[in-house]
Amino acid sequence: MGLEVRQFACCLALCMAWLVSLTAAAASPRSDPRESLVVAVSNDPASLDPARNAAEPIGSEMIVNIFDTLVAWTAPGFSTLEGRLASGWQMAPDARSLTLQLRSGVRFHDGTQLDAQAVKFSIERTRELNPYMQASFGAIASITVTDPLTLTIALRQPMPMFLSLLAQPQAAIVSPAAVRKWGARFGDHPVGTGPFVFRSYKADTSVVLERNPRYFRGPSKLQRVIYRVIPDASTRRLELKYGGVDVGQQAGQLASIPADDIASFNKDGKVRVLQVPSQIIRQLEFNNSAAGSPVRDLRVRQAMAYAVDYEGLVKGVLGGLAQRVYGPLPSSSWAFDPAMKQRAFHYDPARSRQLLAAAGYQPGSLKLTLHTYQGSIWASVATFLQANFADVGIAVTVQQSEFPQFRALQTAGQFDIALDGRQPWYNDPDAHVTIGYLSTLADTAMTFRMPRDAALDGLILRAQGSSVPDERKALYYRLQQQLADRVPAIYLFSNDIIVFVRSNVKGIVVNSAPPLNEYWGVYKDGALAEH
Amino acid sequence: MHYVFRRLLSLLPVLALVLVVVFSLSRAIPGDPAIALLGPGASNEQIAALRAQLQLDAPAPGQFLSYLAGLAHGDLGTSLKSGRPVASEILERLPATLELSAAAMLIALALGVPAGVWAALRHNSGIDHAIRVLSLCGVSMPAFLLALILQLVFSIELGWLPISGRLSPYIVSEPMTGFALLDGILAGHPDESWDALRHLLLPACVLAAFLAATVARFVRNAMIEVMGEDFIRTARAKGLGEQAVVFGHGLRNALLPALTVLGLSFAEMLGGAILTETVFSWPGIGRLMFDAIRNRDYPVIQGATLVFALLFVLTSLAVDLLYGVLDPRLRRKMR
Repeated sequence: MGLEVRQFACCLALCMAWLVSLTAAAASPRSDPRESLVVAVSNDPASLDPARNAAEPIGSEMIVNIFDTLVAWTAPGFSTLEGRLASGWQMAPDARSLTLQLRSGVRFHDGTQLDAQAVKFSIERTRELNPYMQASFGAIASITVTDPLTLTIALRQPMPMFLSLLAQPQAAIVSPAAVRKWGARFGDHPVGTGPFVFRSYKADTSVVLERNPRYFRGPSKLQRVIYRVIPDASTRRLELKYGGVDVGQQAGQLASIPADDIASFNKDGKVRVLQVPSQIIRQLEFNNSAAGSPVRDLRVRQAMAYAVDYEGLVKGVLGGLAQRVYGPLPSSSWAFDPAMKQRAFHYDPARSRQLLAAAGYQPGSLKLTLHTYQGSIWASVATFLQANFADVGIAVTVQQSEFPQFRALQTAGQFDIALDGRQPWYNDPDAHVTIGYLSTLADTAMTFRMPRDAALDGLILRAQGSSVPDERKALYYRLQQQLADRVPAIYLFSNDIIVFVRSNVKGIVVNSAPPLNEYWGVYKDGALAEH
Repeated sequence: MHYVFRRLLSLLPVLALVLVVVFSLSRAIPGDPAIALLGPGASNEQIAALRAQLQLDAPAPGQFLSYLAGLAHGDLGTSLKSGRPVASEILERLPATLELSAAAMLIALALGVPAGVWAALRHNSGIDHAIRVLSLCGVSMPAFLLALILQLVFSIELGWLPISGRLSPYIVSEPMTGFALLDGILAGHPDESWDALRHLLLPACVLAAFLAATVARFVRNAMIEVMGEDFIRTARAKGLGEQAVVFGHGLRNALLPALTVLGLSFAEMLGGAILTETVFSWPGIGRLMFDAIRNRDYPVIQGATLVFALLFVLTSLAVDLLYGVLDPRLRRKMR
């Protein structure tokens, strides 16, 4: 009994001590919610090192907030480039070299000075280390530093769009001193010149960035940007609705359509829905190189293109969160030919049946498998198309696969039709056309697998390399017409970029290509802060 | 001691088998890491370059041998996705998993054992039936549904607990041990521990529901059986109070079968509860493993499985040792 009393007394004393410590101890340091922006992301960044991040969207967005690129797209149109670390530039008339002048007095977060050597170091490092950038930066023949703030990049071939490649997050400028200090672990300690300084990373939990008080464009009004990793879409919605996060980033939408979320947020009024047209294209592509495939017959491809109810797809399935695509380029591209709108296929099941009959197919005799990715957006579009094709007598089976498996099928050419998409990382028609349609690249990547066609290849390369803007545009117009004649794909839609923002968050700019948000100009309306 | 040593030694072939199986299975999944990492738009050239960089182009037996050589030096390899050491990827998440599993275990014990005892003592009464129905619900309710219900009730309607996460995002703290409850106290910020506790409750309850229901059913059945035994009658005949009979003699014997279930469930929880972790944004081992499989991150899949197997075997060893504590007859055998 004595023991029990003693045990009880001990417990009581411990509890008392804890209670006393509760009152005596200091509160934990917290950031001010009015000056902190909490951004929900679906998973951890792959890497915060521009030289190692292979166009992975979450890490890339953090990179554009920690680092600066030499140039960036100007909001809100995102069709012209403005200088960031570069104050000026001159592309040579033959588009084979680019001279850049740098802003003076810019410092990295570690206090070292930005100069032409640092730019040369960063670009050469990305070219060497980042497999994703080797195709584009591989064209760099040499980089010459002419004075501390001027450098010239010589190119192996004419590349009029080279400046737009420099606006990619992977082309961001890193601190050479920090790279030398951290080596391969630079991604855990990223140091740039950007509006925010990297503070901490907790695996599967958060990445915290802090205001750079010496930022050359002026310090941000935000004290911190806190990326919260919330993998579950419905948890992200709840957190956004009840104020646990301020911004819902768009990365998770590539596989699903947030139509229900939008309806619920619009009713609620506490969350604004930002909807911006993108450069993304979703299409049903034909295996244009498959010997013996029914889709090698132009009439079959045309018949399938007439079978699709485009308006029903955009309005019904995608809830108006997408735009129709009329050809190989989205309507938002500067090189889009408006004549494509008239030329594009329209919904005409009767014409489709006629073409199928002309090609020798009776209703039900043409059977195809439609391959696509996993994810609800792909499933709903695929089943909609399946129904459209069934109406004209084509039996389609839908096969969804995980990405690595789907890619393997695609590059090996083991398919007739596939539902796929393209999300360009730089704002230039080259990003859609060259890799997609150049027949010499047919087996080398996820392309349209175009059959050998020297004339078309020549036109694509001329358009890519032309240094006269008007001439370039005219060449892309011609290309769009020629590609449309060949029906290499059924161009379906371009889904809008959707960003959810709490209504007290102001100044957010949604970038379209690449779809990454910059938070430098963002602030919170104090009167509306609820925390 | 000899027994423990023998058990630890028998662990080695199990782990070796796990290594071989996981190494071959992870490579049997279609598609490879270079493809998964580079995403759509990458060319064969880019993929080949990355494969070479990640040394995936070496023959599989060679890769396995170099992995084993690394293991012998205590090196679990480097994550293909993040480029960080696998050991630190696992160690960073292990405290979250341990914290969640331990909390779930405590809740399950606190609910399951008394419920089981009560149901057994009131055998075939209304209370017994009610507990049986409740435990059936606990066993059969999907985790995501229970999670959503708890979030709606306790986070949204009542506003008592946070919806998800492990700590308020506004708290700026440097983790010391990785155990959020402990870190707050060590740093002298009990409000941080309180915040961590509030975040812990809902996911722990979701995980505990299944376990509590199972424990209640086991304890109930075992108690009914034990309370009919001769030694209980003897104890009562000796004039022992009912409390001493139920808890000192009845429960002590009835707990043995429940212990096995608890031990194995705990070991399973250490392997991560993917659904619960995902719904509550809990940074545990389960999500690490899930992402690693999706990204074909072979070293992480192998490392996490190895650690999981190790924890599993060690937990079952601990359960066996605990048997000895509860049952003196087994203690003699273990020697």
